[in-house]
Amino acid sequence: MIEVIDLCKNYGERKAIQNLNFKISTGDVVGLLGPNGAGKSTTMKILTGFMAPTSGVARICGYDVFEHPIEVKKRIGYLPEIPPVYLDMTIKDYLNFVFDLKQVDPQFKTDFVVKSLQKTQLVDVKNRLIKNLSKGYKQRVGIAQALVSNPEVLILDEPTVGLDPKQVAEVRELIKELRGQHTIILSTHILSEVQATCNKVIIIHEGRIVAQDDIDKIERLNQGAMTVSVRTKESKALENGFQKLPSIVDIEKITGTYYRLKFSARDNALDDIARIIIDSGAGLVELSPQNENLEDVFLKLTYGEQKDVQV
Amino acid sequence: MKHIKPVVVVFKKELRALFLSPLFYFITFLATILMGITYAVSIWNFSQTLANTMLTMLGGSSQQQNIHYVVFVPHLSLLNLIYIFVVPALAMRLISEERKNRTFDLLLTSPINSTQIVISKYLSLVVVNFGLALVSLFYMLISLRMYQFELAPSLLALLGIFLCGCSYAAMNLFASSLTDSAMISFFVGIVLNISIWLIGGLTELIDQPIFKAVFDQVSLNAHLQPLIEGVVKLNGLVFFASVIFIFCFLTERVIESVRWRA
Repeated sequence: MIEVIDLCKNYGERKAIQNLNFKISTGDVVGLLGPNGAGKSTTMKILTGFMAPTSGVARICGYDVFEHPIEVKKRIGYLPEIPPVYLDMTIKDYLNFVFDLKQVDPQFKTDFVVKSLQKTQLVDVKNRLIKNLSKGYKQRVGIAQALVSNPEVLILDEPTVGLDPKQVAEVRELIKELRGQHTIILSTHILSEVQATCNKVIIIHEGRIVAQDDIDKIERLNQGAMTVSVRTKESKALENGFQKLPSIVDIEKITGTYYRLKFSARDNALDDIARIIIDSGAGLVELSPQNENLEDVFLKLTYGEQKDVQV
Repeated sequence: MKHIKPVVVVFKKELRALFLSPLFYFITFLATILMGITYAVSIWNFSQTLANTMLTMLGGSSQQQNIHYVVFVPHLSLLNLIYIFVVPALAMRLISEERKNRTFDLLLTSPINSTQIVISKYLSLVVVNFGLALVSLFYMLISLRMYQFELAPSLLALLGIFLCGCSYAAMNLFASSLTDSAMISFFVGIVLNISIWLIGGLTELIDQPIFKAVFDQVSLNAHLQPLIEGVVKLNGLVFFASVIFIFCFLTERVIESVRWRA
């Protein structure tokens, strides 16, 4: 469905992306993950035909984005970082305009416009001017705009930026619903978003792909490792006790009663920690293992294996 | 047909945006007031001259007795002045503002190529110019009810000014494509509109016959003058068509270059 071969883009001297290679098959939801400035938006802009690559090939539905831009553009829905909405139009007029612009068969017009309004929960406000809408609603109009032509491929650049937590959850839910109907690429620097919505992930750092695979496989890369937060009632020197635990990697004392412990393997670490605390008489308040495996992989891959990395 | 559809879609959107916003009505309102004042003054002057001539039977110069020169030429130079300032104000929205609001991204990722974008936006400006030309035509038609005269030369003069307006539209669309700032594109547009009038003046400064001939041919005034006098010359029409084509072409190049520069 989407095929990228040796894609490079230079901005003058600066290399925004270098030799990207990936394939996405029909129906996949792929998260393009990377820190700010990693080259996510650049990759998406090339895929949409907005921008020409310096070298390399990108194909969507078998069409080269550079050779047949019009054919490609008919088949994609794109949400840029800033939703491209005309402020002096109503939502309904705007969606009708985008539908016409995408050159879809006019007989589907009413159907597709209504569906995109429903999916983004904009039916009640469809006759309002876009300039009077809040940022969250504008973002939803942006998503509706990408959906309105019922494209085979959806390219969403940071779809949840600027939304409140409830709206973020709604957008993620929407993306999950769209799974299977469209092939979706979404970029983000928020890990939980990828975990919540995607089945594949491509991690980009400084313009290069550092990892790409199914989400479970990526998480498995770091399997076994674990971070445990420990909170005690009273402040007691517990470091020595923790130090003796078998697979301990790092002890971080945040306050006198709060520790973060990193382990390289799971074994019986939780039992042991609990025993040490109870034996010391400090009183156990909280003992919570964190399974942010993807996050750890991400940080390792993008920032190297620095021990003091904080999210 | 396949290539026309996207042009029609964007063209319709531009017209809607224009005619649903108060800007166009405000501009035509101001234009009508200005034209009304100058028309009233010049038609009164004309009737005075006519009455005096009849009284003294002296004849005077023939131009002074011609409604075309006394009333319509000043009337049309006012229309030209309105074009010089109004067209950049309308053109700045078309590309500069779209780029600033990032709505241009939508056009660039939709199945429409840059030539089609330029044509649709240019045509919307031509329609506005045509609307303003119709407003000024109204004064001519009203005069017909008061006084018997030949309308055709005045219509040709109106066509000449309308073609000037269309040339400004092409130049100002180009100015609009150059920058994200609407203000800058507005001023660049006005400068371009005024300089196309001044460039003919360079003929006075140059002695070499070749350059003199070149500047003569690129002077807007030289090509407009025959139309004002009611004469259609092919080279004049070619001149206007060339200006429009060149600036539309440059605009298309600038839009296309965004893909490479951005």
